[in-house]
Amino acid sequence: MIKKLITRRKLLKTGAAATTILAAPSIFIPAYAASKTVNVWTYANFLPDDFKEEFERDTGIKIRERLVDDQGKQFNLLVAEANSPTADIVTIAGHRFRQFIDSELVSPLDVDRLKNWDKVNTVYSEADWTLVNGQKWGVPILAGAEVLAYNSDIVSAEEARSWDVIFSDKYAGQNAYIMQDFMSIVMLYLGYDGNMIGYDQAKAAEAVNAAKAFLIENKPKVRKYYDSGAEFQQMMINQDISLGMAWSGPVSKLIMDGFPAAMTIPKEGSYGFVYNYNVTKNGPNSDNAYILLDALLARPEIGANMTKASGFISTFVGSADHLTDIERAAGSFTQEELDALQFFRADNNELKYSLLDPAVEEVKAA
Amino acid sequence: MTRHTRLIMQMIYWAFVLYLFIPLSLMILMGFKDSNFIGFPIKSLTLDWYVGVIQDMEILSIFGYSFTIAISSTAIALVIGTWAAMLLTKASFKGKVILFALITLPAVVPGIISAISLRIYSQTLGIDPGMMAVILGHAVHSVPFVTLVSMARLNSQPLSHVEAAQDLGADKLVTFFRITLPYLVPALIGAGIFCMLTSFDDFVRSFFLGGYEPTLPVYIFAQLRTGMSPEINAISAVVLLITAVMGLTAERLLRRK
Amino acid sequence: MSSKVTPDSGSDPKGFWSWLVTNKIYQSVFGFLLGTPKRQFFLLAFIPIFWALFANLGPLLKMLDISFYEAYPLSVGKESSYSLAAWSEFFQSRVYYIPFFRTLAFSAALTFSALILTYPVAYFLARHVPQNRQMFFLLIVLIPFWVGEIIRTYAIMILLGNNGAVNIVLKFFGLIEQPIPFMYTSFSLSFGIVYLVSLYMLLPLYSSLEKIPSNMNEAAADLGAGAWRRFWKITLPLSKDGITAGCVLVFLISTGFYATPVILGGPSSTLFSEVIANTFSVAADRWPSGAAFSSIMLITTLTLAAVFLKIMGRGGKGLLK
Repeated sequence: MIKKLITRRKLLKTGAAATTILAAPSIFIPAYAASKTVNVWTYANFLPDDFKEEFERDTGIKIRERLVDDQGKQFNLLVAEANSPTADIVTIAGHRFRQFIDSELVSPLDVDRLKNWDKVNTVYSEADWTLVNGQKWGVPILAGAEVLAYNSDIVSAEEARSWDVIFSDKYAGQNAYIMQDFMSIVMLYLGYDGNMIGYDQAKAAEAVNAAKAFLIENKPKVRKYYDSGAEFQQMMINQDISLGMAWSGPVSKLIMDGFPAAMTIPKEGSYGFVYNYNVTKNGPNSDNAYILLDALLARPEIGANMTKASGFISTFVGSADHLTDIERAAGSFTQEELDALQFFRADNNELKYSLLDPAVEEVKAA
Repeated sequence: MTRHTRLIMQMIYWAFVLYLFIPLSLMILMGFKDSNFIGFPIKSLTLDWYVGVIQDMEILSIFGYSFTIAISSTAIALVIGTWAAMLLTKASFKGKVILFALITLPAVVPGIISAISLRIYSQTLGIDPGMMAVILGHAVHSVPFVTLVSMARLNSQPLSHVEAAQDLGADKLVTFFRITLPYLVPALIGAGIFCMLTSFDDFVRSFFLGGYEPTLPVYIFAQLRTGMSPEINAISAVVLLITAVMGLTAERLLRRK
Repeated sequence: MSSKVTPDSGSDPKGFWSWLVTNKIYQSVFGFLLGTPKRQFFLLAFIPIFWALFANLGPLLKMLDISFYEAYPLSVGKESSYSLAAWSEFFQSRVYYIPFFRTLAFSAALTFSALILTYPVAYFLARHVPQNRQMFFLLIVLIPFWVGEIIRTYAIMILLGNNGAVNIVLKFFGLIEQPIPFMYTSFSLSFGIVYLVSLYMLLPLYSSLEKIPSNMNEAAADLGAGAWRRFWKITLPLSKDGITAGCVLVFLISTGFYATPVILGGPSSTLFSEVIANTFSVAADRWPSGAAFSSIMLITTLTLAAVFLKIMGRGGKGLLK
């Protein structure tokens, strides 16, 4: 059963909204610049409600949360705000660090200011992608993978061991993928490096062209090039598709809800990504940002709650102990699967996407 | 027309209504589903989503915020749009076509472009992101529709009306308020409802121009990240109910008058 | 309304206006403002021109400016230099101009279908529903639009999906064995899109049909004109302004559609707005391309709309007399 009650927080929020209206003249002092606040741009359900309530009570710092739904929009918004951002913390996927760093939108992370830094699993905190220009930039909070997801009533686990199944005649017209992301996986599938580490222009073009030709060849078998996790969930429920490439988070949520879905990292491998909280450059209250980040890392159950709400895997040490069996099962992989997983890396993004973006358009237009 | 064609017309109308309402009834139904996702099969039903929405003051305040923006931007658009329509139909001057193009331009600028360019532009003007910026953004988008609809109606206004008023000694301003404006009212009601709808449904401008308070579509987009839940359907159904009641009440009041 | 209102109280419109016109201050202020045709024109033109320049042109000039940048947003250490690269990119790859022409054709077809589909509805509303009930009937078709585009689109997904309402019903009555794949076809696309544009067509049509005096039709009928003849000779020409406004609106707006086509369309139906949106949301910084593509779209659609208005305006009353 789903229980929905008015939480104390919601009542407080309403009170706060009413106060804001009454105190209309205060709009001349922008709320984001007030000293006892911290401004966070994040995805819905990333910051648990009870954590926010506790943090505000303990520190007297008000969390102003702005919900975003996409990396690109967040980037564009931050660019548009130029030198006076209204955010202190933004949510960036690790492999997109470079874009934000190159445009001077975020500051390097001062790890010494986080006494709970060691509570982040070193798999994430010490991963190669975390270092850009020799510095750390974000606090890893949630991790996900690009998985092969399938309806377990229709597709067998045996069939799902390889990405081959997506291109098989048996399931023609029953699959879907996100073109932009799937290109990297297809490169991996065809024996290239989807991160293009150390690739020069010629090698990169060869990889992209191979993936492009392969996807055009298989275009008659695809049902849909989709964009959002919610679309994938709905296509599975509506039985428009039986399998496809998806982000692990939305699939986990489907599994937790009792839908006969399963996911795997096929033997050819796939890519993982990690959401981070990054401190902006010239943010109005950067000091409070560090206080918030430290508080977030303090207890593993906060990480567990983030997993329950988002479907992505918490990066905090020990957070899995606070999940139920089904919740744990919905987001875990075998060692064999994890061995096939590597993280997206931003090192060669400029070259990669300058070739990949037009290729995506070409496949769609083919 | 004959009784026969009239019947066909009536059937087309109701078929159209059916087409509009079937997806809506599915949406309302899914708000009762006891699951985290919409879709068939429905194994069991629950009232919790609807009860939750009604109790959730946060959602109601988001609705209020969106509604305020819709009303304000529509009011601005009606004044400026009518004004522009008067200029474009009643006066003759050089560069009229250019002005017409300029006034109607925002209707055709893709949302994302208009949103980002307005965001950068308002930054240079010193307008902070927030309610004012969103209202301005929505008004910019709405003005062309008011202008187009008003122009279509003004063009068919019998000149004799205006002339008669002016023969009776009314100056142009009074003529406008007493003759032309009442003649425009049906067009303005249509345009007004229309502007409110586009404002209420707009995501991309609200997102880029808004601050930390979300409008309803911005909130729903963010919630959609974890899936299309019955809760989102319940929110929309409640919004639909509120607006339907408001619309029909307004209609009753107008009719009584 | 209460009958106790005194003539000068200001709440009675007639009293208010006669009070206003005889008021000394009003007379001197507006006597001055409306004194010469030049001043009248200024009063009429000031606000629209100010709005057109300040609110409409300003942001677009900014966009045009960006389209000539070599790179934007600027990376560290890069100087802003101007270039035509973003503009020439469009003409160099079929990836860009094919969706562009597809969008124009799609919008034109959509405009025409929307006109055919909604004209009878608007006609019924304006000519057959009694005057005092028209608002009610209009509201019935308007209310569904208060549900956001995305939610409506998801509702269409669960209506047309393989396991959706339509297939369930068909299966229940034994009409089909296997579900019919409605989704991600041109059928699902049109189903969702007509929803989006019907309102834009309906309102202008309704407002132009509603104002045709009914005695015109009666007079024609008295003279022995048949129903179709009356329609062709009277109703259709007199609703031309509404048709023009509706078509221009729907055409221009549908070139910018994004969310619904992306969700309901099949793999091969990329529209130009998607191409534009991708230049802003993908990893590489391609704002100049996005800005240039938008400018190209804008210039083309506006030109087409202007030509259309010119054709419709010839020999009759166009929007711009």
